[in-house]
Amino acid sequence: MWQTNLKILLIVLGTLGLYTWVASSIPQVASAVPEELTFSGDVSADDLVMAGEQLYAGAGTCVACHGLGTRAPNLLTDHAGEGTIGQRCGSRVSGLDCKAYLLSSLTEPASFVVDGFPEMVFQARTFSDAQIWSLVAFLQSLGGEVTVTGDDLESAGDSAEGASAPAGPSQTTDARALLQENSCLGCHAIDGSGAPLGPNFDDIGGARTAAQIRNGILDPNADAAPGFDAMLGVMPTTFGQSLSATQLEAMVTFLAARK
Amino acid sequence: MIEIRSPKGLGRVLSLAAATTALMALIPADLLAQAAEAGSQSTVTIPAYGSFPAPGNRVAIWIAAQVHLFFAAFVLGVPMFAVVAEAIGIFGKETKYDKLAKEFTRLLLVSYSATAIWGAILAFGLITLYPGLWSYLARIFAPSMWVYVSLFFFESFTLYLYYYGWERWHEGRAKLMHWSLGILLNVWGTAVMFIANSWLTFMMSPPADVVADTAPEMVKFWSAFANATWMPINIHRMIANVVFGGAIVGAYAAYRFLTSKTDEERAHYDWMGYVGNMIAIGALIVLPFAGYYLGREIYEYNQQMGITMMGGFMSWLWIIQAFLIGVLFLAGNYYLWVGMGRIPGAERYQPYTKWMLAVLVLGVIVWATPHSMIADRDELAAMGGTHHPFLGVLGVMSAKNTAVNLMILTTFLSFLLYRRANKRAVVPWARTGTMVQTVIFVLAAMIVLFYGVYGYFVTAIVRIGFSVYQVLAVLAAMGMVVALDIMIMRGAESYGAIRWGKMPPRSQYALFILAVTFTWLMGLMGFARSGIRQHWHIWEVMRDTSEFAATPPLGYAAQVISLCVVIFLGLVAFIFWVGSLAEKPIMSHPREDSLPPTDPRLAPAPTGD
Repeated sequence: MWQTNLKILLIVLGTLGLYTWVASSIPQVASAVPEELTFSGDVSADDLVMAGEQLYAGAGTCVACHGLGTRAPNLLTDHAGEGTIGQRCGSRVSGLDCKAYLLSSLTEPASFVVDGFPEMVFQARTFSDAQIWSLVAFLQSLGGEVTVTGDDLESAGDSAEGASAPAGPSQTTDARALLQENSCLGCHAIDGSGAPLGPNFDDIGGARTAAQIRNGILDPNADAAPGFDAMLGVMPTTFGQSLSATQLEAMVTFLAARK
Repeated sequence: MIEIRSPKGLGRVLSLAAATTALMALIPADLLAQAAEAGSQSTVTIPAYGSFPAPGNRVAIWIAAQVHLFFAAFVLGVPMFAVVAEAIGIFGKETKYDKLAKEFTRLLLVSYSATAIWGAILAFGLITLYPGLWSYLARIFAPSMWVYVSLFFFESFTLYLYYYGWERWHEGRAKLMHWSLGILLNVWGTAVMFIANSWLTFMMSPPADVVADTAPEMVKFWSAFANATWMPINIHRMIANVVFGGAIVGAYAAYRFLTSKTDEERAHYDWMGYVGNMIAIGALIVLPFAGYYLGREIYEYNQQMGITMMGGFMSWLWIIQAFLIGVLFLAGNYYLWVGMGRIPGAERYQPYTKWMLAVLVLGVIVWATPHSMIADRDELAAMGGTHHPFLGVLGVMSAKNTAVNLMILTTFLSFLLYRRANKRAVVPWARTGTMVQTVIFVLAAMIVLFYGVYGYFVTAIVRIGFSVYQVLAVLAAMGMVVALDIMIMRGAESYGAIRWGKMPPRSQYALFILAVTFTWLMGLMGFARSGIRQHWHIWEVMRDTSEFAATPPLGYAAQVISLCVVIFLGLVAFIFWVGSLAEKPIMSHPREDSLPPTDPRLAPAPTGD
């Protein structure tokens, strides 16, 4: 009897030991807590870059997509022969220098979708101004010149809590602004911008009635648009809660008029 | 620290709420006293965190939650197939199933108090170590907590009636009433689980209108209760509980088999182990579909959370999961193949075993191939790109879906061969029918392979849709083959009865490996589900500001999971041993109609093995 018990014990412990060993042998990646950053006005570029790199590789979870180059543009090394992000950021959008481009693409990702990739899911509202600016500094440092300074942080603090402060629900009733704010263009295209993953908005009013458009926003999984069966289930079902009635009707009216 | 500032009028309301919450949760006296003071002063300060000596709050609550969950899964999973076994006993007039159902329930009975004890440890852990979080949750979910307690009460007493009434209500209408008690037991248990699931899924996926500034009293109860991941978790856990219960029952039977002193006992526990394994592996085949539904809902709720889960710091976790599931498939099939040694006529299928083994091993290798891992600059440079030049091709979703579907088909084939091992078909079209079955198998495999290869040439969003076609092909094949098999084997002749009890001991050790692996896998998935919240107690609503807020790496998690498994299995072994003390006198004086060998398959086995 005791021999049987011993064998069972050894098999159980051996199996547990094997699993523990295997799990300990693979690369160990932890999820760090975003560090509360407090910088003085004379913060050095190196300090900002270091903080940004930690955030990029850790709590920011940026490497989950940008470290690979398949889910999102590769920021760490060359991407599509255009160089690293620090080298190409100044020429991405005319009129925006590197710093402005990086900041805007972090805080308004829907407006800066790179061709061939879906909209970035980074949620700037969960990060502080200092964290956002440190990320900008780190990305600039990848092949470019770091131009983020303490003045940027201070001015962000002065401007209504900065871009990354948790924002309340938008009050706008401008349909185009709502399309941007709700990341609709991550999947739908209008006037040449956006992605072709969902029905095009340019002529949607000709194909769908206002009621159908409204239902499509409130209950997107109830019925797939013709030709988009495979996308059923992708569109968020939360717009009924996140949009006010006025905003919803503004969007419906706007889209229904697109014929 | 969490500060509650309140004017005097509101203070009375708050004090009432705090007192209610404390009563609900049995908050310790010091916290209760603090809450009571809310009525007399305008500001009450409740510490956000308590303190647990080494290894600290996180590990303490982790162990309490995980061990409680192990026991809870067992006591929820076992009644499901106990009631099915009893039904087979009643309607199929097979008394051995009735005996089996009773034995399942006896395991349940002795595990019940352990479940409750660990539930209390978890509740006290939350109250004392995470009072801020507990208070927040209690203020939203208080009504459901009362319902939970009531249902738990009903469940307990239904179980007592179900078990202790077994002998008294054993025939006629009384037996049907007894069976309905088993159904009722499942209803209570499932409802209890659904309620508890709402609390934990709320922490994962609170409604979009709940933000950090939202007062708990302003949260709509039903939207918090039926949150985005609630139903997917309910379904996933229900199936997983059956898998887990089957595996633990299998291990119990294996132990009893190995320590049996008579052939009769050995035959019974051999059969019981087979049933437990069949339940576990059978439900396991369905589980990935429930997991897919859950994953999809997580992505839909919050893409960032989904990416963190599948491609972020947890990406390696799925490689470990593939390894574990590979062990499950291999051990489950190995048990069946060894079991065919006790079935006359099974030798004609033995030549196929090595090919099935080859498919399973190749499938595991492909499934466990890393692909979308977090890579730093040095690793990217070492690989010469973002993916390994050769292995990267095998690590993509197309290859993995193909591998897992072929593994499921192969395991199904093992079951089929096992099922018909000692049967000789007598219907005139048996040969044609078997050929049709073969064609169905080949067609399903070709569909799976076709979409697997085609997936490399289409975009990701189209490729994801292909997995549905692959799964449907496999499920359809399984359904059609089983239907045909039932017809082909109608009135089949027998090569001889299954020699229950004639199993080599090594087959029983495979059942232990299955139980340990299922348990460990459950712990790993618990870490995944909880870990994707990262440094949030409640996703983007309540931050974890404690010193344990960071989510640890897999190696650390593996140690804690192994510790939980050791605690659980150690307690289960003790509980089952205690249960066997009470059972021995009953075994020596069984009721006439509960004797097992009435079925030819339970004929006395030759001595030893």
